[in-house]
Amino acid sequence: MLSGKSIIGIDDLKKEDIDLIINSADSFIEVLDRKVKKVPTLRGNTVASLFFEPSTRTKNSFEIAAKRLSADLINFSASSSSLKKGESVIDTINTIMGIKVNLFIIRHPEAGACKLISDFTGMPIINAGDGAHEHPTQALLDLYTIKRNFKKIEGLKVAIVGDIINSRVARSNVKLFKKMGIETTLVSPTMLLPENNEYMGLEIKNSISEVIDKVDVLYMLRMQLERQDRKMYPSIEEYNKFLSLNTSRFFCLKKGCIVMHPGPVNRGIEISEELMDLADKNGEVAKKFKIKQQVTNGVAVRMALLYLILS
Amino acid sequence: MKSILGKRNLIIKEAEIVDPEKNNKYRSNIYIKDGKIEKIGKNISAPEGIAEINAEKYTAFPGFFDMHVHLRDPGQERKEDIKSGIKSALRGGITSIACMPNTKPPVDNINLVKYILGEARKYNFKVWPVAAMTKGLEGEKISEIGLLKNAGAIAFSDDGKCVQDGKLMFEIMKYAKSFGSLLILHEEDYSFSSGGLASEGYPSIELGLKAFPGLAEETMISRDISFSKKTSTKIHITHISSKNSVEMVRQAKKEGINITCDVTPHHIYFNDTYLKNYNTNFKVSPPIRSSLDQEAIIEGIMDKTIDAIASDHAPHLKEDKNTTFSRALFGAIGMETLFKATYTKLCREEGMDIAEYIKLITSNPAKILNIEGSCIKEGRVANLAIADIGFVEKFSGPLYSKSSNCPFTGEELYGEIIFTINNGDVSFVNSDLYE
Repeated sequence: MLSGKSIIGIDDLKKEDIDLIINSADSFIEVLDRKVKKVPTLRGNTVASLFFEPSTRTKNSFEIAAKRLSADLINFSASSSSLKKGESVIDTINTIMGIKVNLFIIRHPEAGACKLISDFTGMPIINAGDGAHEHPTQALLDLYTIKRNFKKIEGLKVAIVGDIINSRVARSNVKLFKKMGIETTLVSPTMLLPENNEYMGLEIKNSISEVIDKVDVLYMLRMQLERQDRKMYPSIEEYNKFLSLNTSRFFCLKKGCIVMHPGPVNRGIEISEELMDLADKNGEVAKKFKIKQQVTNGVAVRMALLYLILS
Repeated sequence: MKSILGKRNLIIKEAEIVDPEKNNKYRSNIYIKDGKIEKIGKNISAPEGIAEINAEKYTAFPGFFDMHVHLRDPGQERKEDIKSGIKSALRGGITSIACMPNTKPPVDNINLVKYILGEARKYNFKVWPVAAMTKGLEGEKISEIGLLKNAGAIAFSDDGKCVQDGKLMFEIMKYAKSFGSLLILHEEDYSFSSGGLASEGYPSIELGLKAFPGLAEETMISRDISFSKKTSTKIHITHISSKNSVEMVRQAKKEGINITCDVTPHHIYFNDTYLKNYNTNFKVSPPIRSSLDQEAIIEGIMDKTIDAIASDHAPHLKEDKNTTFSRALFGAIGMETLFKATYTKLCREEGMDIAEYIKLITSNPAKILNIEGSCIKEGRVANLAIADIGFVEKFSGPLYSKSSNCPFTGEELYGEIIFTINNGDVSFVNSDLYE
C-alpha cells in the first residue's frame, strides 16, 4: 500500500512508496514479456483518463497499463475549444463524477490543476503532467530505468539538459533524484533557467561540454524552440554548438553512462542527426541510448501505480 | 444593546485612547454630542440616561483610512457595490476610503466622480474617488486631470495598469504637478510581468507557475523616481512588494525626492510559501514574494520608508477564483482584516509600538492625500474605531463584502473591531462580542 491515494507530485511519495513502486514494476515488466500480456488484477475498476492537453505517448502508456490490468478505461479528451469557451475544469469534472469511476488520470496545461481537482473531488488522482508543475510518472519511470541499468543508484551523477524553466519533467525528476541520493546538475542557457539562477540548490551549467565526461546519466529534455513564449534563444545552430549531444561529444561520455530522453527526440536539436543515424546502425552506440527502454518501463511503472492505488 | 446603533449622543467610558498625532495612549472617557467629540476627560458630566459604552476592555483609535480600495461600482456590482463596500469598511473600523478608478467604465470622467461621491453621501460615508490618469486607463492619452480634480478626484492613478510609454508618463507627471495633484502609481513593466503568475523563486520553480519577478515593479519605480526628480512631482507608489523596491524608495527619500509608498496587509503578513496549495486567494498583483522581501517590507515600515498600509481590497466572484491558478483573477479582499492582520503581524509579532503603527492606517494616508484625517480631539466629528485588541480568534471570513476572496480566512488574528463610529454615528456594532 502506498502512503497516499493520489500522486500529484513527487512530494506525495515517501522513500518506502518509491521502493514499493519500483519492486512492483519489476513484477509487471515480467507480465509484459508474456505471450498473454494481461492479468485480471483490476477487473471491475474503472479508470478515467482525462487529457485536457494533447498527448499520445503518455496517454497510450496509461491506457495500455490499465488494459493490461483488466481495468475498464474511459477516455476523455477535452476539446481545446470547450476550455477556451471558459468552461472551467470544475464544470467538466462535475459531469464526469456522475460516471462513478475509481481513479482519475489527469493531464492539464495548467500548473496546479490536479491539486484543484483532487481538493474538489477527494478522488484518487494520478498526475500525468500539469503545466510546468510536475510529471511524476515520468520521473518514476526514469528512476526505474536508471535502477535497471545501475547496480547502485545512490551517488550517481545526472545532468538534465535543456529548457529547465518550462519543464515539468525536470521538476519531478530533480525532486525524485534528490530523494534517492542521485546528484543532479542542470545544463541550460540563461534564459531557460529561473530568473535568479537558483533551482532547489542545484549546480547549474550553461554548456553541455562542462558535464559530458562527468556524468553517469545524460538526460536530454525535449527542446521546443518554437514553443518559447518569447523567442529569446537565438537559434538552433547556437543550441547545437553549446547544448546538443553530437557524435564527438558522445564519445566523451563515461564508459557506463546512459543517455535518456522523455521522447520524442527532435532529431538535429537535442541529439544530432548524425548520432541518431549512427545509433541506428551501430549496436554499441545504441546500447547507451535507453529511450525505448524508458517507454517499456513507463508501462510497467504505470501498471504498478494503478495496482498499488486501486487494489 | 444593539439599540446603540445609529446613536449620535453617547459616552464611551474608560477606553484606552491611542492618539497617533501626539504619539501616545491614555485612558479616558469620550463624550460624543450630536456626532461631535464634545469632551474627553476623566470626569465628564453627561446628561442622565445617555447611551453608554463600557470600554474598559477596549482601545479607541481614530477611524481608519484605507487609501486603496476597489469598490467595483459602477459595472461589477455582483462583486461589490458602494453600499456593501462601505459595510465591509465599517466592520474593519474604516471610516474613510480612497477608491480606485478601474470600474466599468473607468472613472475617467467627471460624471463618475460625482456618481461615487453621491452614492457615498447616501450612506454618510467618506469616499475619496481616485480618477484615471489616462483616458480609459489605456495608457495612451492623458485624462482631464484639471476637470476631474475640480469634480472631486483626490488623486490620479491607472491602478491595475501601468503606463508603459516613458514619454507619456513624464508628461503626466508635469501636468499633474501643474494642478498639485498626487499620482498613485501601480508599477509594472509588462515585458517582465506578462503571463506571470507568482513571484520568482519558490512558486515559480517548485509549483511551475510562471514568474512575475520583482524587476517588473523595480524597473518602473526606478523610471518614475528619475521622472519625479526631474519634475519635482509628488508620487506615491502603491502596493510595493519587493526588497529592492523598498530600498529604492528609501534612497529616493534620502535624496529628498517627493515620494511616498504603501504596502498591503497581505504583503506584510504572508510570503510565497503560502502558495503551496495553489490557493487562488493568494493570487494578487503584484505577487506575494519571498520571506526576504517580506522582512524588507517590515523593516521599511519600522524605519518609515513605507508610509501607509492599504488593503488593495479587490473583490472577485467565486467563479473567478474557484479555478486553476492561471485562470483565476488577481486580487484579494482586505478591508475587514486591514487592522486585524497588520496589528497581529506588526504589533503582536514584531513588537511595533501601537501609536506608531496606527499612523499607517490613519494620519499617514490622510497626509499623503493632503486631507484632514480623523483624530480623537474635542470639537471634531467623531470617527472612531473601538477595538478589543486582546481578542484572538481564527478569522472565520469576511461578513459584509459581497465577495469572499480573502487570504486571511483561517488565520489566527488579534484584534476585533467592536464599534465603528463614522461621521458622528455609531455605524457598526459587533453584536456577537458586545452585549
